[in-house]
Amino acid sequence: MAVLTTLWQDFQASWRRMVFFGLVFALLFQIFMMIALIVRFQNFPNYVTFYDWFGSAIHIVKSTPSLRDVGPIIWEEWLIEIGYMNYDYGSGISEWSLNVVPSRLFVLFILGACVSLCLTLLKRDVCGAGASNTMRATTGLGALMVAMTNATMSWVVCCATPSWVVGLAMLGLGVSTSLALETMGPLLTYGGFGLLAVTILFLAWQKTRAQALSNMRFANA
Amino acid sequence: MTMNQNLKTALLGSVMMAAGTFASAETIEIAIGHQSMCTDTYTAGIVIKELGLLEQYLPTDGDYADVEYEVTWADYSSGGPITNQMLANKLNFGVMGDYPLIVNGAKFQETESLRTLYVAGTGYNLKGSGNAIVVPVESDMYSITDLVGAEVSTPVGSAAWGMLLKAMQDNGIPTEDYVLKNQSPAVGAANIAAGKIDAHSDFCPWSEIMEYRGTGRKIYDGSETGVPYLHGVVVRQDFAEEYPEVVEAFIKAVWQAGEWIREDPMEAVTLMEGWTGVEKEVLYLYFSEGGHLTLEPSIKDEWIDALAFNHGVLTNERAIPPLDFDAWITEDYIRAAYEDLGVDYEADKASIVDPVAANEGLPMEIWHARDGISSYETLPDFLTAMAEMQATGALLNSTYVYDSETGLKLFGKTAFWVKAGEEYATFLRLGEAEAFAEANGGAVISFDEAISDFVIEG
Repeated sequence: MAVLTTLWQDFQASWRRMVFFGLVFALLFQIFMMIALIVRFQNFPNYVTFYDWFGSAIHIVKSTPSLRDVGPIIWEEWLIEIGYMNYDYGSGISEWSLNVVPSRLFVLFILGACVSLCLTLLKRDVCGAGASNTMRATTGLGALMVAMTNATMSWVVCCATPSWVVGLAMLGLGVSTSLALETMGPLLTYGGFGLLAVTILFLAWQKTRAQALSNMRFANA
Repeated sequence: MTMNQNLKTALLGSVMMAAGTFASAETIEIAIGHQSMCTDTYTAGIVIKELGLLEQYLPTDGDYADVEYEVTWADYSSGGPITNQMLANKLNFGVMGDYPLIVNGAKFQETESLRTLYVAGTGYNLKGSGNAIVVPVESDMYSITDLVGAEVSTPVGSAAWGMLLKAMQDNGIPTEDYVLKNQSPAVGAANIAAGKIDAHSDFCPWSEIMEYRGTGRKIYDGSETGVPYLHGVVVRQDFAEEYPEVVEAFIKAVWQAGEWIREDPMEAVTLMEGWTGVEKEVLYLYFSEGGHLTLEPSIKDEWIDALAFNHGVLTNERAIPPLDFDAWITEDYIRAAYEDLGVDYEADKASIVDPVAANEGLPMEIWHARDGISSYETLPDFLTAMAEMQATGALLNSTYVYDSETGLKLFGKTAFWVKAGEEYATFLRLGEAEAFAEANGGAVISFDEAISDFVIEG
């Protein structure tokens, strides 16, 4: 209970920073993916398409009988598509594209906010440098796991269905590895958030304990 | 009647009139996702769109007497996004190749409330031509067995990927003996042109584009796997149940598109080049008599077997949901469409075109830039005409011959030529050409050398 109180106090004190960090993280991740694509394919984007995400979401809600199906379908809806159209073939074929997907932006926003909270707690961490580094590494690993499963890079290779692993394949991941990883997407996402949650709770517990010890010393003095 | 009642009556009347007007002017939105860079989908896509064939068949009587139609077309580079758009109900119809079709059916069946129906094919190649493995034109690889230790790219998840896996298995090449890379068609083609990759496996019409542009050479044709290569039409089940006559109209348009191409393939591919940007000479290899594609939309038992085989490949390699083929595939709409057209469905369904038999004895062709296409019964006649045309400096768009082994239609310039005495033969692959030459006391020669035999000096 004391741990949750500590967490709540920290959240209240730093929520603006968490929101800001979440937004910046989601935005920076899009920029990172764009730079990765430009470097990988050696060409700049030459087309951009905007989609009516809200209109699509309303249309999906109206035309999908089962509420259970609505979420996963809206989850895949795009807001912006930025890519490189190769006009050497036919009337043009999209060689690569970065898709800005609101559902993934939301996940990345939450991720950024969690990382921000972890860093705030780490700053006030009273344990040694070694333990702090372990916590930072755990935070980084959790963030990496979530971020990579929310990559939204795509190309025509996705004859079947676009998935997160396509982005890694585009950046050079081997076929067998990417196929093996593909099914592990949800597991990696939940695992990443799980790691972050454990880190946050552990840091909050440490802080609570340190405060209790400090209070005891103060009372005994 | 009080004033209040009068007001209510007037209001009710207005509402009913408005409702009546709405009902009498119902607009049916028909949204179709197609692929202008995938030749085998053209008869359910770009041809119907550009010729307005669907509009010709849409019902206008009975329940549809006062209906207005709003037909929209969306062009995609692959089938995956079409499925996503169909799930979002932004597309009613989707046209795609066999692998994406299977994923479409499976992904819909994975949902609680949505389904698609596979209602018609577009065309097929019985043995699997359309998919192929290509190497850079200067490569010293001539057979699939040369790919041991090589880097091979393919669009993973596509029919070409499935073909590549089977071809390697059939030839005893385990996956650890080659490096498989995931690559899009455009990048794969560019890498072949630049010699940056040892081989690239792709679907229609990429291999032929590379051959036509002189950047790539086929070392393996999909027909060697013996697995039919087909494309088809899926429709959302809720749309099909609400407007079955519209689905039938679409299938009639698919059939009509095939007839239109068969009527004058040269004219058809010339127009299609303008619509899609794909070279007409490449398209002719698909759509002409003896071409890779048999345009006929019936649903044959063999196609269902092929789709089931492909589903097995996808299930083994990727985690895709199961697919109940009985619930997914229906012949109801295509049978009704054929009946309305007065065409014998059973006859079409029973007829399967095997290129080996069907292309036997077909004439070779020369596409003169000004005079169009001329046909020649024998290779010496063809070579004589080539020599004469070259002597006049005529501009030739392309030439077409047949692989003696498989009956596959080839570009004259990419075929391997064998001269044995006074006889000539053409082959897709060097290995068969050399074997034929050895068996018949001949030699493998170039296309130019074959033509030079018929040049009359002076």
